[in-house]
Amino acid sequence: MLGALATAVLAASAASSYGLLGHEAPDFALHAVGGSNVRLSEHRGDVVVLSFWGSRCGQCRMQLAALDRSFRTYHSAGLQVFGVNVDDDQGGALEFAHKEALGFPLLLDPQKAVARAYLVDNLPMTVLIDRGGAVRQVHRDFSAKFEPAYLQQLRVLLNE
Amino acid sequence: MLHVVHPRRFLAPQMAVLRLVALGLLMLAPPAGAWAQSAAAAPPASAASAAPGATPNPQAASAPPAATAADAPAAAGTAASAGGAPEPGTDTRGLDQDIQGLKKDVVDLNRDLFVLEEELLFPANTQVAVFISMDVGDFFALDAVTLKIDQKEVANYLYTPREVEALGKGGVQRLYLGNLKAGPHELVAFFSGQGPHERDYRRGATLKFEKGIGAKYLELKINDRQRRQQPEFEIKDWE
Repeated sequence: MLGALATAVLAASAASSYGLLGHEAPDFALHAVGGSNVRLSEHRGDVVVLSFWGSRCGQCRMQLAALDRSFRTYHSAGLQVFGVNVDDDQGGALEFAHKEALGFPLLLDPQKAVARAYLVDNLPMTVLIDRGGAVRQVHRDFSAKFEPAYLQQLRVLLNE
Repeated sequence: MLHVVHPRRFLAPQMAVLRLVALGLLMLAPPAGAWAQSAAAAPPASAASAAPGATPNPQAASAPPAATAADAPAAAGTAASAGGAPEPGTDTRGLDQDIQGLKKDVVDLNRDLFVLEEELLFPANTQVAVFISMDVGDFFALDAVTLKIDQKEVANYLYTPREVEALGKGGVQRLYLGNLKAGPHELVAFFSGQGPHERDYRRGATLKFEKGIGAKYLELKINDRQRRQQPEFEIKDWE
């Protein structure tokens, strides 16, 4: 009951005035840290989580760690997570990537073209994209107490 | 003062409406009973579909699906009057065929609309298309291509491993499609990636070409030069 209430509150607060909800997620291709390029449209059919983050944002690091746990659990069920770094200087992102060794790719968006396309106005900001490529949820903040609600939303998308 | 409106922006509402009409045709299914009955006597709806390669005309292209939807109940009536109407719900295979035929009509219509849109946006007398192909690729792992025409960047494309693999298998990608006026032009392509010994590699290729009356097709080719153990980049002008 409490979880459902938290989910409803979370969805209502996050979804307000986000123009991409229900629309097709803008496609992009970005360089990944220490790897090859990633194009969003190649992951159509998977549930995709885009987490926009900055290396000097503490909550972003907490959220990336939480997403890493979810990714390791649900990757085999079709979950893809991409951390999109929006720092001007990529040094912080590279250092974080080497230190944390996350299971999912960290993408670099120094020109912020992708961040602009996704109307990023806060860090961390997380966008959930369903298997059909439509934006379904957005979260403009992260708190550990909302983690079960995030997971619930992910499970709903994965079960579709 | 003359304001130039980009043709895609100008045509976008019309094309959106036509696409909506195409999708709306999917919703124009008659009652299931009529379809099931018509299936016994009437030929599949796909028989009336547009012939491949037909002249792209939105009115002509949209005619078969509209006629199909309108004809189906009439055919059902014919079947009923002939006294050979099957029991309702017994023949769902015919219904499936009708639905598949209707879907095929919509796909055909969408294809014709796409061709029409391209012809309107990029008329043959101004059309310029740039393709990219890769042969072998042992000495070069493609990462990105930047394309400039007359000093203006018109395309910047990052390649994923899957796309590089597709190019390596003989795929040809249309990197750019645009309009240029007749006269001399210059195309510059920058290729970046990893060269021999996994070192970062960036090379450019330039072509000066004359745009005539007809469409212009250019191809960026990445080849391996075995003798020098280096990749080779060239731009081919398809006359």
